[in-house]
Amino acid sequence: MQPVPIRTSLIFVAVIGAASFLPQFGSEYVVAVALSFAMWVALAQSWTVLCGMTGYGSFGHAAFYGMGAYVQVLTWGTLSPWLSVPLAGLVSCLFALAAGYPALKVRGPYFVMLTFGLAEFLKFSIIGIEATLGQFSRLIIGAPSPNALYLAMLGLAAAATLITYVVSNSRFGYGLRAIREEEQAAETIGIPVARYKLTAFGLSAFIPGMVGAVMAMRLSYFEPSQAFDALISFNIVVMAMIGGSDDARGPLLGALFLIGLSELLWARAPQVYMIVLGALLVFFVLFAPQGLAKQLFGGARRRAT
Amino acid sequence: MSTLFSGQLLFAALVVGSIYVLIALGLNLVFGTMRLLDAAHGDIVMLGAYTSFWLFTLSGMSPLLSMLVAGALSAGFGAAIYYGLFRRLLANTQLSQRLEGNSLLLFFGISIILQNVAALCFDTTPRAYTYLDGIIRFGNVAMTGNRIAVLIIAAVLCAAAFLFLRFHIYGLAIKALIQHRQAAAVVGVNIERIQLLSFAIGFGLAGLAGSLLSMTEQITPFMGFPFTVAGFVTVILGGLGNLTRGMAAGMFLGFVEIYGVALTSPSLHSVLIYGVFIVVLFLQSQGLLGRRPS
Repeated sequence: MQPVPIRTSLIFVAVIGAASFLPQFGSEYVVAVALSFAMWVALAQSWTVLCGMTGYGSFGHAAFYGMGAYVQVLTWGTLSPWLSVPLAGLVSCLFALAAGYPALKVRGPYFVMLTFGLAEFLKFSIIGIEATLGQFSRLIIGAPSPNALYLAMLGLAAAATLITYVVSNSRFGYGLRAIREEEQAAETIGIPVARYKLTAFGLSAFIPGMVGAVMAMRLSYFEPSQAFDALISFNIVVMAMIGGSDDARGPLLGALFLIGLSELLWARAPQVYMIVLGALLVFFVLFAPQGLAKQLFGGARRRAT
Repeated sequence: MSTLFSGQLLFAALVVGSIYVLIALGLNLVFGTMRLLDAAHGDIVMLGAYTSFWLFTLSGMSPLLSMLVAGALSAGFGAAIYYGLFRRLLANTQLSQRLEGNSLLLFFGISIILQNVAALCFDTTPRAYTYLDGIIRFGNVAMTGNRIAVLIIAAVLCAAAFLFLRFHIYGLAIKALIQHRQAAAVVGVNIERIQLLSFAIGFGLAGLAGSLLSMTEQITPFMGFPFTVAGFVTVILGGLGNLTRGMAAGMFLGFVEIYGVALTSPSLHSVLIYGVFIVVLFLQSQGLLGRRPS
């Protein structure tokens, strides 16, 4: 672990501090946009811990978000909502560990397809379970105020950024990058490949689970096909591609880009928004596979897809 | 239980299986010759279905005729994106290092674009038309004419593809490219032309399959995705790049789907398909299925 540069930590503390005062003077709309920005930052940062660093691309992070939302809505009324949030993170994490143990043996594009398949499998299973229970959607009544939820989400975004920063500068992070570059060589020089990959997978599921739990309160209802929507996974992948780095900067850029685009287009013309997203993916794969971080900062390390 | 052994289910499984065979054959050609994972394959099926739908509703053209138009348009589209996008991907040494992953992302982007362009142009209401829907009885099995047509045409197309790969010089060149790229180049196979041909044939078959489907299924902009998943299941099950085993695997998946749903319930259809998808990917990673071509 390298010492944290003072300037970076000052900027980080100042930004989080300033952002936490936003509800005092920002309008409702501004707080709502800031909340979704914080949400995408938290999700993209979590994704980067696993996928940016190890090169094991996940197309199934919606599963963790959905699990978190499901835990929140199931425990609503029996457990304090602020206890359910960490519980949701824990459940997502355990789920990731259970699924990741066999799944992480699958490599490259087959891992990508597998994560997608697992997430869809989970989605349709939960739709089936809810249908047999006669529950087609569940409501959350009496959720905390939007401002409180915004602060919670801000906290999650900060925590996720911190985790990515710490991991990317640690011995663990260098191990993960070695796995990306050449897994067999990494194993040969003594990196505990299986354990590292599984730890990264579990770590990258924890925050998304909590994000799902907070968002369930924000939306105040739960509907499995929306909570497990593959679009969530897709957005995360596009953000990571656009941001394109294996440290904490890429996801911030990607989330900023995406939130701008979605504010501009999503409500007015969702299909145009999706077309632009698809076109961006094609463009970044072909012409800028290293993403914006590389263009802006130059020094970012090579990232994998 | 007695319905399980009826000819009715067998017939349904054969029809679904033959569509999967066609879709997987195209997917396998594109993967086998270039190692590209075509996540937009089902969306070509969707475009083929819309082509037949519009030609039928606007000009009354029989889908048996318009399938040729759909096939030709899809083949042309395949050739265009090969020139426009994938030649660049294959030629760039940095990108082709992670060719499979990059192609998956690229095709996924194309898939999202195609689905939403279709949704913008044709809106999202499901569409259908009736053609050859008279019921024909063989013993105690009732079949609609269009399903019989699907079965026969798919069988003819598969036989034609099989003969082409077996005897035609270009078919042999495709097989050579699947077996060993460098060696194929050494013995004088024009790699560029064969890759273009694989794209055109693969996409053309998907368009044809879409036309056939349009006679029996509802058409929506998002109908293609399940077929992409089914295509991948089939191709991985049969061994990537292995064309004949892929045909058998397509039939197998058709039977698993129809009999699985008959044994459980229609609401579990997606759970079943994704379950098979997951199991197949796990098996593939354990090397229990066919090896990939080198």
